[in-house]
Amino acid sequence: MIVRRPDWLHPAFRLIEGEDILGWPELAALPGPVDGVVHANRASRVLAALATAEAAGQGLLLARGAADPEGWQPGQGFTVTLESSGTTGMPKRLCHDFARLCGRLRGVTEDGARWLLTYDPGAFAGLQVMLTAAAAGALLVAVPGNGGSGGTGAGTVAALAQAARRHAVTHVSGTPSFWRAFLMALGDADLSLAAVTLGGEAADQPLLDRLAERFPHARLRHIYASTEAGALFAVSDGRAGFPAAWLDDAPDGLALRIVDGVLEVRSPRAAPAMADKEGWLSTGDLVERQGNRVLFTGRLDGLVNVGGVKVSPEAVERRLLSVDGVADAMVVAVASPITGHLLTATIVMAPGADESAVRAGLRAATADLPPAARPRALSFADHIPLSPAGKKSRKGPE
Amino acid sequence: MTDSIFALIAEELGRIATDKGESLPTLTADSRFLNGDLPIDSLDLATLLVVLEQRTGQDPFREGFRQFTTVGELAALYTVPA
Repeated sequence: MIVRRPDWLHPAFRLIEGEDILGWPELAALPGPVDGVVHANRASRVLAALATAEAAGQGLLLARGAADPEGWQPGQGFTVTLESSGTTGMPKRLCHDFARLCGRLRGVTEDGARWLLTYDPGAFAGLQVMLTAAAAGALLVAVPGNGGSGGTGAGTVAALAQAARRHAVTHVSGTPSFWRAFLMALGDADLSLAAVTLGGEAADQPLLDRLAERFPHARLRHIYASTEAGALFAVSDGRAGFPAAWLDDAPDGLALRIVDGVLEVRSPRAAPAMADKEGWLSTGDLVERQGNRVLFTGRLDGLVNVGGVKVSPEAVERRLLSVDGVADAMVVAVASPITGHLLTATIVMAPGADESAVRAGLRAATADLPPAARPRALSFADHIPLSPAGKKSRKGPE
Repeated sequence: MTDSIFALIAEELGRIATDKGESLPTLTADSRFLNGDLPIDSLDLATLLVVLEQRTGQDPFREGFRQFTTVGELAALYTVPA
């Protein structure tokens, strides 16, 4: 396979993937996509497939194993289709125009930048990090086998922390849940970062404070993006939420407003089809104004973020309710200092039901969900406490 | 050293590991949670903290995160029941 080096890949770009060091010649020698599909489990594979698909003017699907790629049609013209990590029902596939993907990247050419890839290479955020490093001619450090739940899997954070130290990375972007685990895996080992970026879930103040203390010389930013409107803004004052002044005057040509407690945006970068006549788009994120700050408080659709994965307590609860021997069930998201939230379940067994059989049934009912969406810490009770309105109290104690 | 909390952590970590089909190496106060010493991931660690709260009634993280890396450091965050 001979492909010209693409414009978005700087000749100085190097990828360290495990024990391998790859520049453009090595990437160009890798196999390209098959029928427009690449298994997006390695950064090298994804970069090579992007170059091949672009040269061929063909669509590319970055498959993450969430659905059968059989029957997927690449279509005409170079586009990149990503699979979201769907937690309920079918995973969503979103087709992106590659020029627009690259256009989102800010000109961050910094000499000697060494990036750590903490995201799945097939995820939107992972692609952004890879393209940023590739365009800038930076070094990108990836740990093969990283993937799944936003890079917080067993051993993965440990491997990332090890790789970060070994290659003295300077730029790290990850979810708040990644950062909490990464700080733990790092302990007090020496690592000096120039840029610390958080995204994918709301960044909380205690975590921002810990990061500022641990990496005093780093530029600390948290990025706000929504599925519907893409990357919207970055906050770099080290405080959670964003300045309330932005409701009157937002950066980057954006307009922001709060309607019934929900943040709405008007963005020159949003897909026009999603917005109303005046260009306003609901983000589905609940916000609260506190003094001179606007803080994120949750999702309108009840989804909660568990380690960077959006999960639906209601949908999981419906599954548990369908298990033989379960009379009632309640799934509650409790706050976690490690993963942001965690789903827990309280189960009421039907009379005469066998506990071990019920446990096995519960496990089977959630086995196909991503680990973050499976309820942890099952407890058994003789009834589910209801709120005065007669509803299950969904949100756990904060 | 808070022996009873340590024993509780060992018991619950063992249960979490068994649920995943893993076996837990011998736990010491210096065992580190997320650096590869133990067969657990951050979801498992989050689960451990929820279960410890259920069993001890204490949530040392209510007022914000407190740094811990090892089993001994976590145990020290809980007060021993009288």
